[in-house]
Amino acid sequence: MFYVSVFFQYMAQYMKTKLQYRADLFVEFLSDLMFQSVNLIFILVVFGHTTLLHGWARDEMIFIYGFFLVPFALFGAFFNIWDFNERYIVRGEMDRVLTRPVHSLFQIILERMELESLVGGVTGMIIMGYASARLHLEFHWYDFFLFLLFALGGMLVYAGVFISLATISFWSDARSSIMPMMYNISNYGRYPIDIYNRVIRYILTWILPFAFVGVYPSAYFLGKKEWYGYAFLTPVIGLVFFMIAVMLWNKGVKRYRGAGN
Amino acid sequence: MDKYFEMIRIRFLMMLAYRTNYYTGILIYCINIGAYYFLWSAIYNGKSAIQGMSIEQMTTYVAVSWMARAFYFNNIDREIAMEIKEGKVAVELIRPYSYLGMKTMQGLGEGVFRLFFLSFPGLIITSLLFPLHFSSDIRTWGYFALSIMLSFVINSQLNLLAGVVTFFTLNNEGLLRAKRFVIDLFSGLILPISFYPHWAQEVMKYFPFQAISYIPSMIFTESFRGQAVINGLLFQLVWSIILLFPLQLLWKVAKKRLVVQGG
Amino acid sequence: MYAIEVEKLRKEFKVYSSRSGLVGAFRDLFTRNYKMIRAVDDISFTVKQGEMVGYIGENGAGKSTTIKMLTGILTPTAGKVVVNGMNPHKEREAFVQTIGVVFGQRSQLWWDIAVQESFRLLKKVYRVSDKEYKEHMEHVIETLDIGPLLDKPVRKLSLGQRMRCELAAALIHNPPLLFLDEPTIGLDVLVKLKIRQFLKEINEKYNTTILLTTHDIADIEALCERVIMLDEGKIIYDGSLQRLKENWGEGKQVQFTFATEVTEEELCALTYDIKATWRKEETNSWVAHVAPMHVSDVISRIVARYDIQDINIDEMSTEEIIRNIYEEGVVHG
Repeated sequence: MFYVSVFFQYMAQYMKTKLQYRADLFVEFLSDLMFQSVNLIFILVVFGHTTLLHGWARDEMIFIYGFFLVPFALFGAFFNIWDFNERYIVRGEMDRVLTRPVHSLFQIILERMELESLVGGVTGMIIMGYASARLHLEFHWYDFFLFLLFALGGMLVYAGVFISLATISFWSDARSSIMPMMYNISNYGRYPIDIYNRVIRYILTWILPFAFVGVYPSAYFLGKKEWYGYAFLTPVIGLVFFMIAVMLWNKGVKRYRGAGN
Repeated sequence: MDKYFEMIRIRFLMMLAYRTNYYTGILIYCINIGAYYFLWSAIYNGKSAIQGMSIEQMTTYVAVSWMARAFYFNNIDREIAMEIKEGKVAVELIRPYSYLGMKTMQGLGEGVFRLFFLSFPGLIITSLLFPLHFSSDIRTWGYFALSIMLSFVINSQLNLLAGVVTFFTLNNEGLLRAKRFVIDLFSGLILPISFYPHWAQEVMKYFPFQAISYIPSMIFTESFRGQAVINGLLFQLVWSIILLFPLQLLWKVAKKRLVVQGG
Repeated sequence: MYAIEVEKLRKEFKVYSSRSGLVGAFRDLFTRNYKMIRAVDDISFTVKQGEMVGYIGENGAGKSTTIKMLTGILTPTAGKVVVNGMNPHKEREAFVQTIGVVFGQRSQLWWDIAVQESFRLLKKVYRVSDKEYKEHMEHVIETLDIGPLLDKPVRKLSLGQRMRCELAAALIHNPPLLFLDEPTIGLDVLVKLKIRQFLKEINEKYNTTILLTTHDIADIEALCERVIMLDEGKIIYDGSLQRLKENWGEGKQVQFTFATEVTEEELCALTYDIKATWRKEETNSWVAHVAPMHVSDVISRIVARYDIQDINIDEMSTEEIIRNIYEEGVVHG
């Protein structure tokens, strides 16, 4: 309960800060929309030259991309830890965090909240809506809850992988671009998994399970029965990877060596 | 000229300090190329050619455009914007060199570094993993070298322009992002221009963006031959000259503003 | 029951060094040199509840590292730390509830929002009830005179204003133990006085234990009866400020302004049997450092021999005492 009330307190502060910079907010919305459209344009242009991609139609690809945007937006809004090394380790903000009586990871998540990223989720839902209308998809009442569950699962997959990567900073002071690299790998999950060879498929399912952010859960809504098993694994995989990340984090904090000196 | 070489050297040393970036950098590029390789294989799905390019040429196109990007890409637009916001440019102007020239040299230092430590090893590794097509014609390599130099020039000019605009807007985060978006999409990095619908191709003829990635990559994959190569290079050359004018003009006005308002 | 109990505390860091030049940088790509540095080297001390202790030392002596271990930020390499009856890094979240921390060079407040918003957030974070907050903070805000600043965003405050707000922020949960790392750095004299006055009051009113590091010896003189002095990770003095002064500052300084030029040899020759040391301040101004019993002797000898324009007799300042200690490296007594 305490954590929930702290969460809302931080949220309120966040809103106040953001409202001071309204112009920036607008720019961020707009540029987020632009970058989301790049991938859409890619899909549209490519399907100008082909009709099926390993048995996946254009609108199915678009649906997957739309779904992917939802967990990705949730992740972007609440786990904005790209610059963890720079901001908290190099500049020593971690010192301050550690002198407060709230779990350090939770504090950082709250401090770095970027609620405007949620707009991406709305875009995603619009894209999904468009694709499902064209595909004449039918939904049941419980599909909405499954959608929430899968989206949260996908978010936790992302969070798990990126928090684990952020903890590397506790062990090594060298800067690295491993975060952007992982971001690139995560893009694999947006495309039908069966276009890849077996090694990459295995990696995307069990090691860096980004397929659970896009293609697997979407397969359920697209009625691709052969992937249902994987689709329902989404929340489980999300929880497992997130728990591993929190464990690594707790271990890492003990190794923290402070800034300066 | 010495001082500009010194700037390149310093950048070189700075880049070396980011050691792990180069191991991971190569990996990132390989992964990107890998993703696109599988995607394009699925798209081709047995077709021998799309828009006159074979799957092998397409894979090579993707590989070489990412590797060329390592060379021409830089963040001098953001650096300039930052220095203007923090008021550091005034100090830079006292120094006995051209500010924009120095920034370009920094970008070149970085670019050359990445060319040797990222692009070349990266290209060798990707050629082991994926079926790439390298030309045996020495002229193709020569044209390509010339072409990526011009890519660097045009991309840097656009970056400088975007950076200098900060003088007039103070916060131009929006412009910087929009520029990145346009270059991602219309430089030919993620899709060859020839894949776009006809009307879009016509429109893009009037913009410099395809000079950044599309032209050098088409030259490298020998999708451009004969006159097309020359036309491509001319297109790049003309744009690199045209862009000088707005850049000089903006910079002059910006300097005047700086002197009058004290930054 | 001690507020702080430290036994054989040690912290080691791995420090990388880079080779010089282009070739060196290339070699660094593959292997890097490093060595272990002992920032804090087996120190032991205890602090009683309600004590105000000055923790001093030169840059890199290990002050900040110790404070970070005491506040649970860093995990010690070896040794025992018990603060407020807890192990700081093991029970971090419960532990930090009982301490307040101010880092002079790092802000605890949110940069873009008004000070009172930061306070409100911290109040939530530290689970302070409205009643406790009102009782305690109204007084703090009044004493620090920050009432008019509360609705301003932190980025618009001056350093002195910000520091007072930082101090108030660290006290929101009225902790029994307060760590201050360079709380007066860069502040002007008036703000410094106000902060010192405030700390004294807090200490008297709530019996708050205060551990402070500072470069300004005046802070220590105004606040601390006890100092712990650190050099290269080791404690070189732990005791009362008074005793430090007595052992080291027993001499007095006599400053003469001569009408004409004099040389050091002449002065030393005149006073060699009473062991006076001379230091030149300005052209014709010299300072003699002598034992208190010889003060009158020095004055009479000099006055008899030279034409004097002015004489001043001073105690040695704490600052000078400490400088002397660092120059000689050991503390006797």
